[in-house]
Amino acid sequence: MRRGSDGRSRLLLIILIVTALFLITLDLRGVGVIQSARQGTQTILSPFQRAGSFVLTPVKNFFSDATHLGRTRNQIEKLRSDNAKLKAELLNRKSADVQLSQLKSILDLAGKAEYKIVNARVISQGSSQSFSQTITIDAGTNAGIKINMTVLSEFGIAGVVKNVYPSSALIELATDPEFRIGVRIAGTQQIGILSGRGNRSASLQLIDNLTSVKVGDILLARGSVANSPFVPGVPVGYVTAVDNSAGAIAQSATIHLYTDFSTLGVVAVVVGAPKNNPGDVLVPVKPQPTPLPTVTVYVTPSPSPTK
Amino acid sequence: MNTRQISITVPIFLAIFVIQESVVSQFRLPGGGFSIFLIFSITWALMSSPEIAALCGFVAGLSMDLSQSSSGPIGQWTLLMIAISYAVAYLGSGNEIMASNPLGFTFFTALAVLAVEFAFVVTGALLGVASGSFGQILITIGGSFIWALVVTPIFLPIFSRLHAFTFDTRISK
Repeated sequence: MRRGSDGRSRLLLIILIVTALFLITLDLRGVGVIQSARQGTQTILSPFQRAGSFVLTPVKNFFSDATHLGRTRNQIEKLRSDNAKLKAELLNRKSADVQLSQLKSILDLAGKAEYKIVNARVISQGSSQSFSQTITIDAGTNAGIKINMTVLSEFGIAGVVKNVYPSSALIELATDPEFRIGVRIAGTQQIGILSGRGNRSASLQLIDNLTSVKVGDILLARGSVANSPFVPGVPVGYVTAVDNSAGAIAQSATIHLYTDFSTLGVVAVVVGAPKNNPGDVLVPVKPQPTPLPTVTVYVTPSPSPTK
Repeated sequence: MNTRQISITVPIFLAIFVIQESVVSQFRLPGGGFSIFLIFSITWALMSSPEIAALCGFVAGLSMDLSQSSSGPIGQWTLLMIAISYAVAYLGSGNEIMASNPLGFTFFTALAVLAVEFAFVVTGALLGVASGSFGQILITIGGSFIWALVVTPIFLPIFSRLHAFTFDTRISK
């Protein structure tokens, strides 16, 4: 009896494992039904994610405040002096204000380079349990978004459209380990390939072994054929470290990405590229240091030595 | 599993999956955060017989594969969840210490989360899925383990009651 039960259990296990292997094979071979299953799931989940994003915004704000306590100390001190009603209003408006500020910056960025964009709100952060870095936005094919379109943040590149649904789209962030983008060092024609590493630091591999890169160099998107997936001229990041290992075919470097992926609230999808390459127009302006006042003291020696 | 058990189990799994995708995924937590659905599936398997655990692992894995944030091919999570669910149920079945000790239960669940995440990286590498730098993988796997240790005791009473209600048994009080 026991042996029969064990046999049935093993048979079930084998059937399930074979089914899983069958699914993997079908997916790797690019069978359409399997691909559309994920799209269908996302279409169903999209309204829930929208609702979740709306309801949880105050909670997310609380966590964000707790994380950035040091930086917002002055702001907290100021808020303390306000009355309870004003504090509540500020908390509710905070999210909208941040998104408005991000949106304004994105519009400035896109306007300078004459990109045609569609703005969208981030409605879900992808789970990093699967080692991928993705977000979901609340605009899709209905807004003219297609797969392989460049996604901008207020500071520069945010990612690329990986999948698109009628009213939402999945964005592969620039931090995703599978993310690759051709970049150009601003002010030069030196090119390389930038790869995501799972965090805000990315790696750059120069293509030409005769060129070199130095700390502080700014990287811009080089642009793709027919501007898909990347439009040219988008700021990507700057060089923080250079690897000059002997024996390497070409130089490699560590890049700090401009976009702060932990605070993405609003993004823009580039749906139309400019007629002319914007070149270095979008290179971020370096902050000008405030000059310190210099005090000059003149000392005149006394005519006769003191005794 | 009879019809009643299936008709209760499926909506529970779906509800937890929707909670994972629409609520838990909203937060960018340190260390990669946690998956309540993964923890729930392993806890459920640990409280079930190996046969039921494998079936539930199949459903859970397939749901995780259909999640838009899943990076691997469809079937990868399914395969791993079948294996881990069967394994934890097989190791946990008849283990009175495990069933009566919430601490042991929590630790075993966290270890299973660690194992399945590690297996995901390994199988992902075999299937050509990029998982990031070594440091990032360590942070995510370590983070998942610690989050599982923290989150499991909070939700264990709920999961335990749901399981007891579904299968009409009393595993933990």
